[in-house]
Amino acid sequence: MGDAKVLADHSAHAITLRGTSKTYGPVTALHPIDLTVDKGEFLTLLGPSGSGKTTLLNLIAGAIGPTTGTILLDERDITRMPPRERGIGMVFQNYALMPHMTVFENVAYPLRVRREHPKAIRAKVMESLDRVGLRGLEDRKPRQLSGGQQQRVGIARCIVYSPAIIMMDEPLGALDKNLREQMQGEIKRLHKELGTTIIYVTHDQEEALNMSDRICLLSGGQIVQLGSPDELYFQPRSRFVAEFIGESNLISGRVIGNDRMKIAEDRFILVPKAERIEKSEHLVMVRPEKVRISKLDENTAEGDNVLSGEVVSSSFIGGMTRVTINTENGLSITAKMVSARAHSRPEPASKVRLCWSPSDSVVLEN
Amino acid sequence: MNRSSTIGAQAIFMSPAVLLAATIMLPPLFFILYTSVHGTSLSLHEYREIASSSLFRRTLGTTLVIAVASSVLSVFLAFIVAVHLARQTARRRTILLVLVLLPLWTSILVKCFAFTIILGRDGILNGILSWLFNTKIQLPLVLNRIGLFVGLTNSLVPIAVFPILASVLAIDDSVYRAASIMGAKPARILRTITIPLSLPGILAGLFTTFVYSLGAYIVPSLLGGPRDQMLSNLVDFYNRQVLDWPRAAAISVVLLAMISVFGTPLAFWRQRKGIGGARV
Amino acid sequence: MSKIRDSHSQRYRVFGTALAVIIYIGLLAPLVVTVPMAFGPANTLAFPPQDYSLDLFKIFFFTSGWRGPLFESIKIALAAMAIAMLTGVPAGYWIARHNFVGKRLVTGVIMSPFVVPTVVAALGLYLCFSYAGLSGTMISLVLGHVTVALPFVVLMIIAGVVKLDPNLEFGAELMGAGPIRMFVTVVLPQLIPSLVSSALFAFLISFDEVVISSFLAGPNTITLPVKMFGALQWEVSPVIAAVSSFLMAVSLLVCIVAIALRRGAPLEGER
Repeated sequence: MGDAKVLADHSAHAITLRGTSKTYGPVTALHPIDLTVDKGEFLTLLGPSGSGKTTLLNLIAGAIGPTTGTILLDERDITRMPPRERGIGMVFQNYALMPHMTVFENVAYPLRVRREHPKAIRAKVMESLDRVGLRGLEDRKPRQLSGGQQQRVGIARCIVYSPAIIMMDEPLGALDKNLREQMQGEIKRLHKELGTTIIYVTHDQEEALNMSDRICLLSGGQIVQLGSPDELYFQPRSRFVAEFIGESNLISGRVIGNDRMKIAEDRFILVPKAERIEKSEHLVMVRPEKVRISKLDENTAEGDNVLSGEVVSSSFIGGMTRVTINTENGLSITAKMVSARAHSRPEPASKVRLCWSPSDSVVLEN
Repeated sequence: MNRSSTIGAQAIFMSPAVLLAATIMLPPLFFILYTSVHGTSLSLHEYREIASSSLFRRTLGTTLVIAVASSVLSVFLAFIVAVHLARQTARRRTILLVLVLLPLWTSILVKCFAFTIILGRDGILNGILSWLFNTKIQLPLVLNRIGLFVGLTNSLVPIAVFPILASVLAIDDSVYRAASIMGAKPARILRTITIPLSLPGILAGLFTTFVYSLGAYIVPSLLGGPRDQMLSNLVDFYNRQVLDWPRAAAISVVLLAMISVFGTPLAFWRQRKGIGGARV
Repeated sequence: MSKIRDSHSQRYRVFGTALAVIIYIGLLAPLVVTVPMAFGPANTLAFPPQDYSLDLFKIFFFTSGWRGPLFESIKIALAAMAIAMLTGVPAGYWIARHNFVGKRLVTGVIMSPFVVPTVVAALGLYLCFSYAGLSGTMISLVLGHVTVALPFVVLMIIAGVVKLDPNLEFGAELMGAGPIRMFVTVVLPQLIPSLVSSALFAFLISFDEVVISSFLAGPNTITLPVKMFGALQWEVSPVIAAVSSFLMAVSLLVCIVAIALRRGAPLEGER
């Protein structure tokens, strides 16, 4: 673990994409992008379907060739290299295990291809089955295993030959929610233990936030934002990012000075200080869990933005309660609060006051 | 994909088949064309001859009449079978499929032999009729057009069943349920849902059986009479009896041309359908 | 209320089933008729036979006039099957999985025997092989049969490959396997049902082939169907009933194996 971090700090790039794009006839699956993935990094490609994340994955894996640009693996140009020479591992959504081989043979396959000694193969296979907690099942056929176990075989088959990079294409997409969370933890643990670079594809934002060092959010074949889970959640650059990751309230307004915005006639809110073009239109984002609801007679903190309005609906979703409020100036704001018993939750039609700290709001670039 | 490595693999995987295609599948067609125009002299003599030959014209007429009649009838019968098969559970369907598969894969010679036994003057059918009417009946049912028609249709039905069955099975069950909930009776469901939605299969079956019957050779020569011979038999006649290969080749070319004329629009239609529909 | 509709549907259904049963009988009758006759006496051809014996099968299997063609047919069918499989399996896989320049042309030529009338193909092959000086040889018959068996093999392999998960093949390549190794270790084992049925059908197609054989056969290369065709044209001898039953038994065996494999495959995949 420690070794891996040190290695990562010396930071040769594991993967570098330069102006890489893919078009199919008139359809552009991926606009030219530049992307570097550091060694030992856990990078998630996140985006809705058709955003280009699978295209990007397939380009790196070599299932397809790029229309323009180059792909470097560890400073080596692999743009036109056949997949089998790239030394990349891949975990597939539908597991892609060989149905005619046992678990052992499946995991041994990449080593046998490399003509390793049978003894070494046995040892390595057992070690990697150990790592994924499947020792003892080596003589089963894949169809005798549960979905979660099959995907563990898929992972074992991948880590057994220590590929420079492991790509995971929605590996948990076919599993149910509880198992998915458990497997997320295991993949994170393996990543720490092995220090391998992992490129992970998912359309599930929670999974991405939970697992990644960095998230590359894609939309329409372009990178919309690349950064740590924190940055994407707390500093979204655009409306798309704000809406795709987490829930958000968006308030449009016009810049006044360097820390205020006009959101209606005679109505201003405070925003974090920054140089902005006077009178330009911007969206301000506030996360629902940052919005507090208080009774009309309660005092609010100094310097907070305060709006008053009427509760439209209140929905109890377990640990949190989601409350939608229509404000006096015609905005619809959602607030999320830790749930309380029904009698003390805000009731529809009750008048309330909303407030949030200006530092919890983000002015979107556009 | 990765050009150089793929091309190497492609050579290994494809070249044996391409070699066969280039040596024993294309050259025969070329030889026929070449022979029909008397080689390099490119003479259309044979085509003029067959155009004015009454034997050819009569045979062409017989071929078209028999091919159209037997393919239409066989598709009709196959449709009944396909609808019946589609209604069965998967398990029963598999068992019943043997009843269609076995005739499909049994030698045409076996069937022709059987029909001479069944339809002959003293055959089984005449025997049953004689017994029923208590007099000796010797209807001429074989070595004439009836025998040819029966034998050909019999051999075409199993061929047509499979494409039709595939498209009947492809119809979503909920469509039927929706129709019957809305009050449609079975006959209307058949007319407004089953037939239109299985049309691709019906047309495929029609095309296949028609092409097959245009080229029928064994059935007419064993079950048809001397006046019921088809174009294939004429090819054989010029090849074997008259030893006139250019003539035989020219008739072959006409046969091929007929199949292209009837086949191309259908193939085109099916392909357009295919692109628009199932495959994304 | 629902009863009225039910009886209507019921009657409709019974009518459809009755029609289908009549057609099934019509399809099977010609096959069934030959069987009792095959066990009839050697001198007369009558249905039903007056007494039963194995005389016809004895004549079929133990006189050189029938036994020779039977063995000729088996040899030729085995050779044609081998060639069609060796060429058709890799080609079917490649056609199913890859796009390449000339794919339509190559596929079209390979599939052409499906639409080209057999007599036309037979005449073409006859002209070709005469030109090449191969008239009447066993090679010419084998190659002639390959032309009709190959498209079936290719078609059945394509159908089998399309059902496989391409990720398995890509995964194997990513793990370092070359195309041939990947094909042998990943594709072929999964294709076994398709391989067995296409081999059997290739054998059967060649074994039953009449038209091309009758154009190409020489005096020393008479196959069973050619012999039988000749016999049917000139004098219908009772032995033909035994030959017919034999041919039918071969077909039945192939069909049952093919259906068992087709049934086996989805059952395995259900889990």
